Amino acid sequence: MNSNTGICEDNVILTDDMFERIGTKGLSSEQINKKSLTYWGDVWRRFKKNKLALVGLVLLVVVILTIYLGPLVSGKNYQFMDSTAKDLKPNSEFWFGTDEMGRDIFTRVCVGGRISIIIGLCCTLVMFTIGSLLGAIAGLKGGLIDNLIMRICEFVGNLPYLIIVVILSMVMGRSIFSLVFAMSLTSWVGTTRMVRGQILQIKEQDYVQAAVALGANTKRIIMKHLLPNTLGIIMVTITMSVPGFIFSEAFLSYIGLGVRPPETSWGALASAGQQRLMFYPHELFFPCLMIVATILAFHLIGDGLSDALDPKLRK
Amino acid sequence: MQNNDTLIQVKNLKKYFKVGRNETLKAVDGVSFNIYKGETLGLVGESGCGKTTCGKTVIGLYDATDGNVIFDGVDINNLNPKEKKEFTKRAQIIFQDPYSSLNPRMTVGDIIGEGIDIHNLYKGKERQSKIYELLETVGLNMEHISRFPHEFSGGQRQRIGIARALAIEPDFIVCDEPISALDVSIQAQIVNLLIELQKKKNLTYLFIAHDLSMIKHISDRVGVMYLGSLVEFTRSDEMYKNPLHPYTKALLSAIPIPDPNVERIKKRIPIEGEIPSPINPKPGCRFASRCKLAKEICLKVMPPLVEVCNEHFVACHRVKNS
Amino acid sequence: MLKFIIRRILYAIITLFLIITATFFLIAGAPGDPIAAKVGQMPEQAQEVIRAKYGLDKPVTQRYVLYMKNLLTTGDFGESIIYTGKSANDIIKDNAMISAKIGIIALALQITIGVFLGLVSALNREKIGDHIIRVCVVLAICVPSFVFAALLQYFVAFKWKLAPVFGWGELKHYALPVMAYAIGGIASYTKYMRSSTLSVIGEDYIVTAKSKGCKKSRIVRKHILRNSMIPIVTMIGPAVAGIFAGSFILEKMFSIPGLGAYYVKAVSDNDYTMIIGLTIFFAMLYVASLIVVDILYGVVDPRIRIAKSEK
Repeated sequence: MNSNTGICEDNVILTDDMFERIGTKGLSSEQINKKSLTYWGDVWRRFKKNKLALVGLVLLVVVILTIYLGPLVSGKNYQFMDSTAKDLKPNSEFWFGTDEMGRDIFTRVCVGGRISIIIGLCCTLVMFTIGSLLGAIAGLKGGLIDNLIMRICEFVGNLPYLIIVVILSMVMGRSIFSLVFAMSLTSWVGTTRMVRGQILQIKEQDYVQAAVALGANTKRIIMKHLLPNTLGIIMVTITMSVPGFIFSEAFLSYIGLGVRPPETSWGALASAGQQRLMFYPHELFFPCLMIVATILAFHLIGDGLSDALDPKLRK
Repeated sequence: MQNNDTLIQVKNLKKYFKVGRNETLKAVDGVSFNIYKGETLGLVGESGCGKTTCGKTVIGLYDATDGNVIFDGVDINNLNPKEKKEFTKRAQIIFQDPYSSLNPRMTVGDIIGEGIDIHNLYKGKERQSKIYELLETVGLNMEHISRFPHEFSGGQRQRIGIARALAIEPDFIVCDEPISALDVSIQAQIVNLLIELQKKKNLTYLFIAHDLSMIKHISDRVGVMYLGSLVEFTRSDEMYKNPLHPYTKALLSAIPIPDPNVERIKKRIPIEGEIPSPINPKPGCRFASRCKLAKEICLKVMPPLVEVCNEHFVACHRVKNS
Repeated sequence: MLKFIIRRILYAIITLFLIITATFFLIAGAPGDPIAAKVGQMPEQAQEVIRAKYGLDKPVTQRYVLYMKNLLTTGDFGESIIYTGKSANDIIKDNAMISAKIGIIALALQITIGVFLGLVSALNREKIGDHIIRVCVVLAICVPSFVFAALLQYFVAFKWKLAPVFGWGELKHYALPVMAYAIGGIASYTKYMRSSTLSVIGEDYIVTAKSKGCKKSRIVRKHILRNSMIPIVTMIGPAVAGIFAGSFILEKMFSIPGLGAYYVKAVSDNDYTMIIGLTIFFAMLYVASLIVVDILYGVVDPRIRIAKSEK
């Protein structure tokens, strides 16, 4: 484009025939040789490369299969008390031993695990639903509504989480519902802030403006642009928050605010086992093993996911 | 090329952003111009002078604070949703940054086809072949249709952006610095593609850039913006031959000339200081704080844009006298 | 800045007021009779006297007004129902320091060890030391503190007899609870310190420092540590606020007479003056420490300071 730069001089006259159109000839030879992958296909490819994340995935599958199929295989009832078989060490009859009332710990760990995991998933679901809904509204609407939601977040975020949970589960009685309610009441704040931040950031991206310029309505912008682009980070948060809720459930059961007997959970089993730790350590060991395995699995998966989604690592 | 049929009339356009309790950022402050059918209107200025905001307001991406944008006889600020959608079918935009302007989760086919889907132009096979046609128009391969943006280079991405804008066959396209984020070697390809398309499809461009030589090459008329307002507006050959506003003169003198003899004797007019903040600007001429010729009146009264000779508009108190 | 602090304090007062009010009415509406266990077999008349003493014969709203008046004028949290003659204030006075001591020692250990391990891990990236630290961190994060406490009790105290299993009073009693408390925190500080150090190491100013011949120890001290500590400082805030919360289970397990243990006991005993009193106390501490931390952020990170003054 050299000829353009002589414009300051009056004696150089630019005519059309001084320019040659390069056009788009020969450009079509530009090829991309890599196999085409969808975005999630690409994420999955990178996730698979991460050995630890795969270990986590396998571990989680094993835990879930165990707690759902275990009682069928052992053929025992988690409430059945065998007065002739109290406090037995693990053996071929009772794989994880028995507790002080002669109940099979393996079966109890399986049944308790279902409740622990369900509570963890329910809380995460509630947290995610409320959090992303409020965050999306705040981010999209802006102005007064945004201000109001952020003030509420600030307030709820300043509440001492543990104390609220203790008081609520005390007031509402001991049930899975009240546990889920109490634990998710304060937990959505982080999700709301995160989703709002994401939306505000994506909203300013040129591709959203391009969609607006093309005449897209709000629904289309949310479904096609905002949601797919926030989903990744939301998924990481979800995998990372399930273990947190399993922790909290164990904690509440530990101080006697968990599920009500005869129902049981990992926390309740650990709490019972802890009191008999000195002489029958297996009664604490097995529930703890399952808790640790589950949390480990979620952590490994979450770490793998966030690595796989990190644009800086994408090649 | 010029048939002097007005397509767009921008009248006293203002776009303010509130940035604090008592602070207003006057990004565009009273800009007026016409765009004729089939022409390319260039808009130049330093970064932060409001040219991008101006372009986005013209196609309705921002709501104007004041003033009118009249597109083919219709004021675009008072449209109902249906009319608004009709308008979006006729006016499109190409963005500066080819990386953030394509949704990373959509295939190229879906990106280009988005406008077709929104306006229900084609379905099924027809949609497919239309997208193939567009890909070919901008010099991409048919097999690129199922690829994702991250697999492409900057220049290829910009061509995808152009194809997206062309998909709904608009009359008018705002090119918002479409080349400034690209390698110099790629810039020419994109500019030539845009010129070629204009000829073929009889498009009207509002071409925003900060590169004066590029503007000269592509546009029929040029407007120079400084801090939210137009300081000079005329045909591009006239602008380069006979710049009147001190700011324009300074800008043009900064263009290097590939002839060492000329370059050595060429007098550069330096502009000192930084561009002042557009937040709560002072009264008077916006350029006064950096202008060598500024007099008392320049600090007090904002000069209006007046026609000094045939189709040559300047906003400067000092031009009339000299 | 002053405006910001005042706004923050105002919010805190509103928050506290709402917490106190909500707690009061929630507990009043909770199932279970707080007096039942205490009065048990007493004759009807004696029961009435005791109920009147705690104001339980009056309607809730009246009790609330009375309670708030007492709280605001004298700072009185009311008398415990279980520990006759002792007010919640006495119990806080006598036992808060115990919880605070453990919490602060544990927090100090968490930060120093965590920062050190994180730095070592990042500086030896992908070497054997880094791998060992990372595996330990992942495991430690996944073990709930009570599991770790139980393991310590079983092996260190019971099997190897290196420390007393539980009890309180002497220095040796600190060892296990502090360890059990600190381990999770050490792991997460290590993790964050590692990733923050790694991101700092990649910055151009570190390369510049190296290329101008800076000694390695100086680079670590002056350039890496300073910048990678910023995210760690932001984590300390919630940790300070959570000092007491973390003690709930451990104090019970190690039979430490701290506030957390009292709180757990009050909850299971339905001792409602104690619950309300301790809740208010915890909430006050929590809210106050969040304010302090918010102010500290501004002091620590020059970027925040500049952003504020520019506004």
